[in-house]
Amino acid sequence: MIAFKRDKKEEEDGGGNPFQNLEKTTVLQEARTFNNTPVNPRKCAHILTKILYLLNQGEQLGTMEATEAFFAMTKLFQSRDVILRRLVYLGIKELSSLAEDVIIVTSSLTKDMTGKEDLYRAAAIRALCTITDGSMLAAIERYMKQAIVDRSPAVSSAALVSSLHLTSVSGDVARRWANEAQEALNSSNVMVQYHALGVLYQARKTDKHAVIKLVAKLMKTSPKSPYAACMLIRMAYKLLDEVDEGEELIGFIESCLRHKSEMVVYEAAHALVNLGRSGAREIGPAISVLQLFCGSPKPALRFAAVRTLNKVAMSHPAAVTACNLDLENLITDSNRSIATLAITTLLKTGAESSVDR
Amino acid sequence: MAILDNDGNRILAKYYDKNVFPTSKEQKTFEKNLFSKTHRANAEIIMLDGLTCVYRSNVDLFFYVMGSSHENELILMSVLNCLYDSVSQILRKNVEKRAVLDSLDIVMLAMDEICDGGIILDADASSVVQRVALRTDDIPLGEQTVAQVLQSAKEQLKWSLLK
Repeated sequence: MIAFKRDKKEEEDGGGNPFQNLEKTTVLQEARTFNNTPVNPRKCAHILTKILYLLNQGEQLGTMEATEAFFAMTKLFQSRDVILRRLVYLGIKELSSLAEDVIIVTSSLTKDMTGKEDLYRAAAIRALCTITDGSMLAAIERYMKQAIVDRSPAVSSAALVSSLHLTSVSGDVARRWANEAQEALNSSNVMVQYHALGVLYQARKTDKHAVIKLVAKLMKTSPKSPYAACMLIRMAYKLLDEVDEGEELIGFIESCLRHKSEMVVYEAAHALVNLGRSGAREIGPAISVLQLFCGSPKPALRFAAVRTLNKVAMSHPAAVTACNLDLENLITDSNRSIATLAITTLLKTGAESSVDR
Repeated sequence: MAILDNDGNRILAKYYDKNVFPTSKEQKTFEKNLFSKTHRANAEIIMLDGLTCVYRSNVDLFFYVMGSSHENELILMSVLNCLYDSVSQILRKNVEKRAVLDSLDIVMLAMDEICDGGIILDADASSVVQRVALRTDDIPLGEQTVAQVLQSAKEQLKWSLLK
């Protein structure tokens, strides 16, 4: 341990990047120390970090190499070190597509996911779901349903997001777990709410009436989470494309223009101006919000606003004319993308008089 | 999501859509390209190859979050802020290459907590940090034994409480 510490120190004193000249083969050799008992958490964590770093740098591992590293890594489950355990989860996820027989860790992960430590559980769920295939799904279903309605937001989110990923394994996962997701939707945690809505939408995506019902219900209690609100706006926007009536939906999106999160306000304005059916009256309020954003100190917000205005200027040049003054200010913006967008927008809306300026 | 150094080399990067840049060669070309477009102008946002990229830099590090051009720019921004803030909290303010490499494991875990397969998992820096900053400070050689004893005592206490 001490010798290792010193090694590391020396490396650091040498300056430069301690991970710079890593050789794949050397690192994989080092991975053999994973087999030693008792496990030295700090050393093993360092080696595992090296492996993850190599993978991240785009180093290709052969199936044999990956499998060998994977199996060595499974030995680390003996250790109780928190960081090491978390790195192992990360390693499982990274190697799951490369190595063979990765399902060997299923039982270890299931144990962690039902254990006491919340920090393990969330991460274990996500790792488990990356190695799960269609045949194993039934075995973990019960745990997943429990995790979705778990008290800890981290666990709940992890389970919800994982079930979204699992849709690629089995198409009806989301539908089978919809009841639990429905319950999670009432969570006070903003992320859980967002993820739950994602799962519910996934479950009902193919059924237009079910989506309408879901949206109608949520419109009344406008979600607290800005992410969920953005998603709801997108769902409403998509519905408006498909159904004939939709006064309520438009009304809802308009009401989102007064949301306290800029993210939602922009999403709503963006949706309103892009609706094929809206006339000058509908986009009026949205345009004025975008106009306000043009003066924002945040470049991203200015960029978003100008880009949207640029698009609207094609269909409703008259409506955008009101923003001309603000757009002219943006011509000299320090961000070149913003300036360019402002100029092209002005070219669409401007009259001869303003071109001179 | 990517963190590059001041030569445009990759420190960490994660691509969530296999269709956009399928090989690591294409990814690196994109990163070089992105870096050359962004390393001088401190402009926060840029369109490149049909992607909206938001970015932020500090000393010798560049943080990027990329998304489809149909994506809400402010959502991307919130992810970027979360990434930057969590890294800065993990490193206790000195956000530079050296420090990131020293805590590479934790930074990796943090990135993993922020985004899972392209879905935002958490956008609140303090809760991300809470989930990953598990290690007590790196311990100097001399004090190690004392601290280890304390640590093990702490753990024992925790386990006895949990039972």
